[in-house]
Amino acid sequence: MSSHSSSTSSQPAPFDLSAWRNVPTVLMVIGGIGAVAAAILDPKHAAFSYLTAYMFFLSFGLGGLILTILHHLFDAAWSVPIRRINEHLACLLPTLALLFIPILINVLMAGNDNIIYHWIVLLKEGKPDHAVTSKYPLFTVNSFVAAWVICGVVWTVLSRGLRKYSLEQDKTGSIECTRTLRRYAAVGVFLFAITLTLAAIMWMKALQHEWFSTMYGVYYFAGSTWTTLATVYLIVWLLQRQGPLREVVREKTFYFLGSLLFAFTVFYAYVTFFQYFIIWNANMPEETFFFVSREHGVWFWVSMVIIFGHFFGPFLTLLRIDVKLLPWVMIPLASWVWLMHYVDMTFNIMPVMFPEGPHVSWMDFACVAFIGGLLVKLFLKSLNAHPMFPQKDPRFAEAMDIYVPEGKLAQAVGARAAKATSGGKH
Amino acid sequence: MAATPKSYGLIAEFLTPADAMHAAEKVRDAGFRKWDVFTPFPVHGMDQAMGIKNSKVGYIAFAGGVTGYTSGMLMIWWMNAVDYPIMIGGKPMFSPFGAFPPCYELTILLGAFGSLFGMLFLNRLPRLHHPLLKHRRFALASHDRFFIVIETADPKYSETETRKLLESMGSKNIEVVEE
Amino acid sequence: MADVIANVEVKAPPAGLEREPLVLNQRSLGWISDAIAGVAEGKTPRWWWIAFIPSVIAMTVMTVMIVYLLSTGVGVWGPGHPVMWGWAIINFVWWIGIGHAGTLISAILFLLRQRWRTSINRAAEAMTIFAVMCAGIFPLIHIGRIWLGWWLFPLPNQNSIWPQFRSPLMWDVFAVSTYFTVSLLFWYMGLIPDLAVMRDRAKTKIRKFAYGLFSLGWTGSNRHWSNYEKAYLILAGLSTPLVLSVHSIVSMDFSVSQLPGWHTTIFPPYFVAGAVFSGFGMVLSLLIPLRTILKLEDIITVRHVELMCKVVLATGSIVGYAYAMEFFIAWYSGNPYERYAFINRAMGPYAWGYWVMIGCNVIVPQCFWFKSIRSNMLIVFILSIFVNIGMWFERFVIVVISLHRDFLPANWGYFKPTWVDITTYMGTFGLFFTLFLLFIRFMPIIAITEVKGVTPQADPHHPLGGAKPGGHH
Repeated sequence: MSSHSSSTSSQPAPFDLSAWRNVPTVLMVIGGIGAVAAAILDPKHAAFSYLTAYMFFLSFGLGGLILTILHHLFDAAWSVPIRRINEHLACLLPTLALLFIPILINVLMAGNDNIIYHWIVLLKEGKPDHAVTSKYPLFTVNSFVAAWVICGVVWTVLSRGLRKYSLEQDKTGSIECTRTLRRYAAVGVFLFAITLTLAAIMWMKALQHEWFSTMYGVYYFAGSTWTTLATVYLIVWLLQRQGPLREVVREKTFYFLGSLLFAFTVFYAYVTFFQYFIIWNANMPEETFFFVSREHGVWFWVSMVIIFGHFFGPFLTLLRIDVKLLPWVMIPLASWVWLMHYVDMTFNIMPVMFPEGPHVSWMDFACVAFIGGLLVKLFLKSLNAHPMFPQKDPRFAEAMDIYVPEGKLAQAVGARAAKATSGGKH
Repeated sequence: MAATPKSYGLIAEFLTPADAMHAAEKVRDAGFRKWDVFTPFPVHGMDQAMGIKNSKVGYIAFAGGVTGYTSGMLMIWWMNAVDYPIMIGGKPMFSPFGAFPPCYELTILLGAFGSLFGMLFLNRLPRLHHPLLKHRRFALASHDRFFIVIETADPKYSETETRKLLESMGSKNIEVVEE
Repeated sequence: MADVIANVEVKAPPAGLEREPLVLNQRSLGWISDAIAGVAEGKTPRWWWIAFIPSVIAMTVMTVMIVYLLSTGVGVWGPGHPVMWGWAIINFVWWIGIGHAGTLISAILFLLRQRWRTSINRAAEAMTIFAVMCAGIFPLIHIGRIWLGWWLFPLPNQNSIWPQFRSPLMWDVFAVSTYFTVSLLFWYMGLIPDLAVMRDRAKTKIRKFAYGLFSLGWTGSNRHWSNYEKAYLILAGLSTPLVLSVHSIVSMDFSVSQLPGWHTTIFPPYFVAGAVFSGFGMVLSLLIPLRTILKLEDIITVRHVELMCKVVLATGSIVGYAYAMEFFIAWYSGNPYERYAFINRAMGPYAWGYWVMIGCNVIVPQCFWFKSIRSNMLIVFILSIFVNIGMWFERFVIVVISLHRDFLPANWGYFKPTWVDITTYMGTFGLFFTLFLLFIRFMPIIAITEVKGVTPQADPHHPLGGAKPGGHH
């Protein structure tokens, strides 16, 4: 089996990360205090900052969930060694559902001046406009809460279930687990599509409730998966360097993750361009106001940052085949992807409060630190509590480039051939 | 052409891609220049075995794509904003958005021309005649056999030495190909 | 190697989860050449004539219909106020959508390293080209004064005017002509090594000459393969955004307008998914009978059919999401015209068309969740026909239902096709099948070199590596 190690023999030593051990806790505590202070000092701005950070981090949970679901639906082999990471990311969703509570508090308890959703203010003032009444019964406070409950329950059941049977397989090796996981994924992909769209519409698009676009759910999905892929790349790289995944991650793992990141870079641009372009071309005021307000003032330059930083930069960087394997390109790029996704969320949310241009405030940092610190803490906890990769997955051998006899040969050749010949890779 | 047939090179036949590949590694290490491997399908890893550098097709295709995009934008700008401006639906005379779809298509069209014709150019194709195509066993190169051909034009070529080298690689069938 | 792997128990996947090989029965490289090239050699079989003659007749009918249309005027078709776009545009979008599966198989699956594509890509690419030809007829003849069709291209004319590039119809011209050209190039490029195979096998002088000419002197040189593979990769990389853009641009014929039912932002990805969906339906309809008739079951295996069913399922579900979003956002928008357009679809006079669409495009593909259905060739074949029907109705729903009730009830109408509409459309099947049958008869319908490349013995590192000599030589 020694020939596998060509990529691992020259491995650099792991980083000494012990100094960073407490960083998530510190971030969470300081961020939490900051967020509470913000909510007292300037509840409206704090809520907008919090929503931006929230929609940003929700992407990671939803991205992890869809990557896990797609892994099972596609019966993929290459992503077996990294699936546990996706599962853990998805399992942040129950927490993320709870983290929405501050927004609920804003909606239910804040004064009319501080509620971030204008349509709720209109309802509370008893003078809803046509755009609100026509959306009855979806646009009522009860439905807003109900949507949250539905999303939270669906995400919890799906993410927990997908991890539960995966972990069970680690112990038993039963292929029934694989079958159960596929059933989860089959139902899950529909529920995922519905809940993601619901969340994107109710929590982000509804900030400007007069505006509508059928592409919006796809748009949020594209950005979320893009961000998650960059994150998974970074986590896999780190875990390979630190040891836990050293033996199971291959060049192809990084290559495929990088290629998917490239594909989603293009897909995001495709979706975003056409959403803009169709509205621009039809030129109907009931739709164009959304983009008109975002081409106003400094927001215009933010939109340029998105065009060049969210698309052209990563696109041109990832165009070359070999780049996907170069950590010194990919790791900075992953951080850049986070920044761009955050800018994208800001671009969607903040113009509602600040029509003239972005206001970078300490509150933004506090909210990001709080949610980010908490989620990283939870992620590391679950990462350390379970095996790092699904060892008894029936596709594991294939993922390791070990020759697996196909079809009828499987019985004829058997495991002996598999053992004797596994070291073929140059 | 001379009356007596000149020889083009030595052709050695192999039964498996692995044999051909290991042989190719040795030919490469022996320092030959004018030689080639002929296979019924692209064999994975053969480029390294032969020591071939990365193909240059990409640059030609890229140049095609850039030409397509810029010429498209210039054409549309000139036709719709300069030579025959006409107001349509309150849109600007020229907008990079409105012009984008056709320019995008032109990018791909010229990029595709670049890659196919670039490939043919780099391979010096089409050619109507090739000495190997007359050789009676060479038809198997498109069927299930693997051939290594070392040309007489190679400075290291020597009828007996080269034949010995090829024999040492396990080829059962070595013949001289005539020009 | 470290302990982690050594400790992991590596065993073959249990029954039901093992991967099926791409070429069954451990066929040799020579057998692959013989089986595929053999289809285009030898005596013309009877079934071919039985299929070919009606196809040519249908094609002739189409030609007669086009002559009738051009000599009489577009009034021989059904469109008229308020439905000014009728079957011509439906058929155009339908045929061009079918083409998309070919490009998806040849380009996108290539980029995704889905090696199973090799058994089906050649036929699917041929289908693309013929489908785009059928599609291209309609916009050309529906302009009425066909002799002015060249005004669509930026060519200098005696009026010194230029085409108007802000119109999506102009984008269509560029998209469709680029699509046709690039598909043809891609197809031809894949054919070059296979034509060399045909040349080397040819027994008659004419065949030797013809295949020799079109194979451009291909020798299988590895120096050539190196450039070839790179160029193929680039062409695949270019075709992928192309195929996405073509149907996106087709969708903009509708979506950049302001008409309720047409103007919606999800149209581009929804059209692309629908196109792939219908294209795979057509590939299944074509290849399931062919693999039996031509005895190619070892190359186009049940696994291939199953995988195609899965693509149909995935794209059908995406289309279903788009239908749902359209309906939901029409309601969400609060715009009474938007809302009415969709209620009218589901409950108006053309409700039957809408529900045929939903049934065929959303419900039918859900059957493919079940392995028992996916691996039953007869049922898959029947369901694939439903997919084709459903996608035709989708375009019918978009074009006719959105148009037939204008903003004012005074402008309401009910569109009916004429017999010329119907026979012209039926006739395009004649054109399509004539070309496809000629392709079967004279070209390698499966990519010989590529299928060889995915067999275990083609991999020099493979434990079973080492070709077994075989075949007719």
